[in-house]
Amino acid sequence: MAGYSELIKNFEKTRDYMRDFFIYGFKVRGEFAQKSARTYDDEKRRAESWLGNILRYDDSLRGRQISISTDSARISENPLYRAYYSKSFTDNDIKLHFYILDIFADGRTLSLKETVEAIDTRFDMYFEEQTVRNKLKEYVSEGLLKSEKRGKTAYFSLCENAEEYFAAIPRLSDAVKFFSESGPFGIIGNSILKMHGESNDKFFIKHNYIVHTLEDILLPDILQAMEEKRLVGFSSFSAKKPADNIGREFIAAPLCIFCSVQTGRRYLAAYVPSQRRFHSFRLDKLKKIKLLDKYDDYDKIYDAFSKNRRHCFGVSFGSRHEDGHTEPLVITFHIDENTEDYIINRLEREKRVGTLEKTADNTYTLTLDVFDPNEAMHWAKSFIGRIKSIEGGTEGLRKRFISDVTRMYKMYGGDVNDDIQ
Amino acid sequence: MTIFSEIYGVYFRIAASVLSRESISSDEINDIIIKQGFNDSILFLPQKLMPRPDQSDWGLLKKQADKFIPVIKNKPVFIMTRLQKMWLKAIINDPRIRLFLNNDDIKILETKLFDVKPLYTNDNFSYTDRFTDGDDYENETYIKNFRTILFAMKEKRILNIQYTSGHGHRIGGHYVPFKIEYSPKNDKFRVYCYWLKRKAVKRSLINIARIDRVNATDRILTKSTSEKKFFEAERCKEPVLIRLTAERNAVERFMMEFASYEKHTERDLDTGICTVKMWYDGLDETEILIRLLSYGPVLEILGPPNFRRHAAERVFNQAKLSCISNISDN
Repeated sequence: MAGYSELIKNFEKTRDYMRDFFIYGFKVRGEFAQKSARTYDDEKRRAESWLGNILRYDDSLRGRQISISTDSARISENPLYRAYYSKSFTDNDIKLHFYILDIFADGRTLSLKETVEAIDTRFDMYFEEQTVRNKLKEYVSEGLLKSEKRGKTAYFSLCENAEEYFAAIPRLSDAVKFFSESGPFGIIGNSILKMHGESNDKFFIKHNYIVHTLEDILLPDILQAMEEKRLVGFSSFSAKKPADNIGREFIAAPLCIFCSVQTGRRYLAAYVPSQRRFHSFRLDKLKKIKLLDKYDDYDKIYDAFSKNRRHCFGVSFGSRHEDGHTEPLVITFHIDENTEDYIINRLEREKRVGTLEKTADNTYTLTLDVFDPNEAMHWAKSFIGRIKSIEGGTEGLRKRFISDVTRMYKMYGGDVNDDIQ
Repeated sequence: MTIFSEIYGVYFRIAASVLSRESISSDEINDIIIKQGFNDSILFLPQKLMPRPDQSDWGLLKKQADKFIPVIKNKPVFIMTRLQKMWLKAIINDPRIRLFLNNDDIKILETKLFDVKPLYTNDNFSYTDRFTDGDDYENETYIKNFRTILFAMKEKRILNIQYTSGHGHRIGGHYVPFKIEYSPKNDKFRVYCYWLKRKAVKRSLINIARIDRVNATDRILTKSTSEKKFFEAERCKEPVLIRLTAERNAVERFMMEFASYEKHTERDLDTGICTVKMWYDGLDETEILIRLLSYGPVLEILGPPNFRRHAAERVFNQAKLSCISNISDN
């Protein structure tokens, strides 16, 4: 494996592999068809190097399956964060990093020329002015250094030490521990903890979709576009056709990130001007985000989006344009009011945009005025055993529900053992 | 500006740890690499950190007698980067921040970050299927209770807790909290505790919002405890065994939805059928059952027998409500 390195230049390829190891633990070498066998071997070895003890190997007739096997509710630190800490760099990058920070750690304010001289004097190492200039510029942009102009010359000095934050706010450490594992960009909180020599030892996150961190790499450009009311270009790949290597190109105005805390999916809710439609794009299926021009109609579209989302049960806007009709869906439940209060509470807290009312003794009716009634059915079926009737929606939806119950009835032995209660 | 940058990377962090020592031996360098690095880092890093005759190292250490000393004069500094500041500015706007920081803390942080834009705002994200009865993070009693628990965890302090259970029973006693759990789905915090009952140490999980009163005692738990054993005891006795068909993209949907659980999956390439063993917490059995049933006929619960029986009961009740019975094979 000559030329193998555990560091990587490109996050996108690794993101695909890590996701596949984690989500689809059943794939074997030959099924990672999108890249060469050599690429698979390198990515596999990197995953082994980064994740070591949480990788699981199972040998089957088809070959060896590798999976990231972990109970995400019982881990203190998202193991997938390690992929972010593997960016490759040059020898000059690391030398200049420690040399420059050391020079400025004296508390000095120096020009480019003085910095080059100081490195030469202190470390007996000469770097071209251009090389040092680029690094200083990069570190000003990263916020490690600050610059100020004196006349025509830029002077550089060090930004505030991270320790001063923790010294001034001792309780900050616990807050960072929590938010580093919960919410968007937890990896950034984790990087603060690592810098501070700490790790999360207090919090577990239940219903924890650790794989979301791999999508966070896309978010800064999308969030910037939202803030600046700009369009973005991207490729969207089909979830149903894993072999889809090309994807479809879209130009859209990003409006919100929809997060499903039950299905594990996150979506970019956006407006596609060429189709005059709102869309929700799976974040894990997006690539090559490009920031484009300002979108003049952004405010108008955002207002329409805010109104429309009141009719989304989940993330689907149905097949409509900016405005259109909804498809009311009415589900009636049988609930024993004396003993099953908790079911009524469950409906109340989980009904989202629906309206729940008592319509008879032990009978409650939920009305959902939504664009895509199909989307509510996965959730509705979690009440199997209590659904008295389903009205509205489409005929196909109602027929499918009856067909599903019939198939399940047979599947669980209903046709041969009707007396099970 | 991205988090995928070498300045946050493991190699830079290891180099900083090595450079923070006044002098260091090669064994100590190797120990740091093994402790902080990836599994293979030990194959690549020693020769880059320690001086080499051909100068192919990073030029960060000099040899001095049988040890190495840093070429830098100062200990490596850690600067809060712009990206990290933007993240801190974003979390200040999260209502849960008040569980950790008081108004003075928030003011100090806001002053430090006065010229920084937040990385994101709460409006940028919408949690489409989060339960609506989440905890009230602005309730002063809740905040006080949360902080008392958090503080007690640091030193294994024994707490006197009174709470009302989900069934409405008043329960009280001495507890030692050791982990706080948050669920983004429920939007609730719960605390795992050792419950000191006479001379026994029992397991307990308490919803923080259900706590009526919590006071710190002047006692510390000295008995040794094992978190690992605590959570092993919570785990199901047998994994649930599931068969998934390739219909309706069920495999992909299931693998995403249940990604957070420990699983073992096998797939039949000819039929596309997946068989999955999945482990879960015993307390979550009903939640798992209803989530599995929501997949309809594309998912079958094969075992354990008791789990399958619970599923069958619900399906048969539904068949009755939908007037389905005595179905023939046609």
